[in-house]
Amino acid sequence: MKWRNRGKPLAVILTVVLLVVLLFPFFVMISSMLKSAEEVYTNPAYWIPKSWQFSNLIRLWTEFQFATYFKSSVIISVGSMLLNTLLTVPAAYAVARLRFVGRGMILYLFLVIQMFSPVIVVISLFKVVASLRLLDTYLSLILANAVFTIAFTTWMMNGYFRSIPKEIEEAALIDGCSRVQTITRIMLPIAVPGLVTTMIYSFIAAWNEFLFGLTFIQSKQKMPLVLGLYNFVGRWTTQWELLNAAAFVALIPVLVLFYIIEKRLVAGLAGGAVKA
Amino acid sequence: MRDFRAAATIPLRQRLWNPEARLAYLLLAPAVILLLGFMIYPVVYVFLISLFRTNKLAQLKEFAGLKNFVYQFTDKEFWQITARSLYWTAIAVAVKAVLGMIVALLLNVKYAGRKVARMLFIVPWASAVPISSILWRWVYHPEYGLLNATLKATGLWANPPTWLGMPLPAFTACIWVDIWIGIPFMALVFLAGMQAISEDLYESASLDGVNGLQKFFYITLPGIRHLVLIATLLSCLWTFNDFNTIYILTRGGPAGATDILITKLYKNAFEFLKFSPAAVMAVVTFFILTGLAIAYARIYFRQEQGQ
Repeated sequence: MKWRNRGKPLAVILTVVLLVVLLFPFFVMISSMLKSAEEVYTNPAYWIPKSWQFSNLIRLWTEFQFATYFKSSVIISVGSMLLNTLLTVPAAYAVARLRFVGRGMILYLFLVIQMFSPVIVVISLFKVVASLRLLDTYLSLILANAVFTIAFTTWMMNGYFRSIPKEIEEAALIDGCSRVQTITRIMLPIAVPGLVTTMIYSFIAAWNEFLFGLTFIQSKQKMPLVLGLYNFVGRWTTQWELLNAAAFVALIPVLVLFYIIEKRLVAGLAGGAVKA
Repeated sequence: MRDFRAAATIPLRQRLWNPEARLAYLLLAPAVILLLGFMIYPVVYVFLISLFRTNKLAQLKEFAGLKNFVYQFTDKEFWQITARSLYWTAIAVAVKAVLGMIVALLLNVKYAGRKVARMLFIVPWASAVPISSILWRWVYHPEYGLLNATLKATGLWANPPTWLGMPLPAFTACIWVDIWIGIPFMALVFLAGMQAISEDLYESASLDGVNGLQKFFYITLPGIRHLVLIATLLSCLWTFNDFNTIYILTRGGPAGATDILITKLYKNAFEFLKFSPAAVMAVVTFFILTGLAIAYARIYFRQEQGQ
C-alpha cells in the first residue's frame, strides 16, 4: 500500500512524459497545419504559428484535390466493407453452427492465412488483376482489401455467432424458420455488436491500405487518400502545411471508428484469454 | 466420445454429402473462391516464378530449377538484407514489449484521468500507418523538422543527425516509427491480462512483505505469460511485414541501409522489374512468416479450446 501511495504521483508524471514523447508527431501535425507556407519553411523551426492559418483546412479541398481522394477512399472502403460482410457472415455462420467434414481445418487455415503478407502475393496478384483488366479501378482495391480481411473477420464473427445460445436458433427452426431466415432474423440481430466490429474493421483496413493502391492505381482520379498524400510528399516543393492539414482530416474518421472497436479488436487478436 | 463413435459408423459419403454439409459448403463457397483466386493462387504462382527465368513483364520464360535460389543464396547483399530483416524484427519487438509493459503498468495504476491516458496512448495504433509515416517524415525533416529544432532548442542534443539521410540514423529513425506504432497493442494486451489477475494475490503478497518488483516478477509476469507469448508472435509477424513505414520514410535508402526483405522484394519487382529475384525473396519471406503464423495459430487455438 505504501508503494502505491508514493507510486501514484510518479506514475502520473511518467505517463505525461511518455505521452508527450509518443504524441510528438501529432503535436507537430497540429502546429504545422496552422502555419503559413513561409512559416513552415523557416529554419530553425518553431512550435507556435505566428499567424493562425485555419484556412489551410479549407484550401486543402480546392488546391490539393482532397475531395477527389476523399471520394475514392470512401468508395473503396465502403465497397470492400460491404463485400467483406457479404462474404464473412455466411462463412462465419457455417463454421460456427454447421457440422461438416473439414470444419476445424478451415478454422485453422483461416487463422494462419489471416497473417498472410500482402507483399508476398502482390507480384502475382498484379498479374491476376491485370488479366481481369482491373488495373487502375476501384474494384481492384475493393476486391483485394475485402479478400485480405475475410479470414480475420470470419474468425471474429464465428466467435460472436458461437456465443449465441443454440436453443434460440433451434426454437426458431422448430417454429418453421428456414436456415436463411434464422440467420437474417435471429442470429444477425443478436450479433449486431460483432457485425459492427467486423464492418468497422474492414472499413478501416481499406481506408489505411497503401501497398495495393500503390501497385494497382495509376490515375490521380482514383487514388485513395493515403496514396494521394504519399504522392504529394514526392514533389519537389511539398506544401507541408496543406499535407499536415490533409493528414489531420484523413485521420479523423479512422480514429473515431477505431475507438468503437478497440477493445473487441484486442480480444479478437489475442484470443480467449482477453475479454472484450 | 459418443459423437465420434456415431460419426465413425456413418459412411464417409454421407458425412461429406448431407443437407447440413451441403449448406455449409454453399455458405463458405464465395469466401473460399475469392481466397483461392486472390490469395492462394498468387502464392502458388510466386513459387512458380521463383523457379523460372522471367522477362520484364513477369512472363515465365524457361524453367530454371533452383538456379534463382542459388544465385540469391550466393549473393552477399541477400544475406545482408535477410540478416537486417531478422535483427530489425528482434530489436523492434523487444523494445515494443518492454515499452508496452511500462505503459500497461502505468495504465494499471488507478488515478483520475487514466481513461483519457488510455485513449491517448492508443492513438499511434489507431492512426493509419501510411499517414503516420508521412507525418514522421516531416518530423525528421533535416531543415524544417520540429524534432531536431526542439532537440537543439532545449539543449537535449546540440548536434542531432540528419535522420533519414545517413545509414545508421535512418535505420534508427525507421525502427523507432515501427516501434512507436506497435507499443499500444502490446500495452493493451498486457493490461487486459493484468486486470484479470486477482487482487487477492497482490494483497496476500503484501501481507507477506513482498515488494513491488517481486510482485511483478512472481505474480504479474507469470499471470500474463500466455498473452506475452501471443502478443510477441503477432508483433513479430507485423514487424517483419512492416512495408509501409520503411517504404514511405526512406524507400530502403540511403544506399539500401534500411532495406529489409519485403521492401527489397517490392522494389525488385516493381522498380527494377527483376521478378525472379523478387519471387525468391517472397518465397523465403513466406516460409518465415508462415512459421510464425502457425506458431500463433496453435497457441490461439489451444487457448480457444481451453475456454
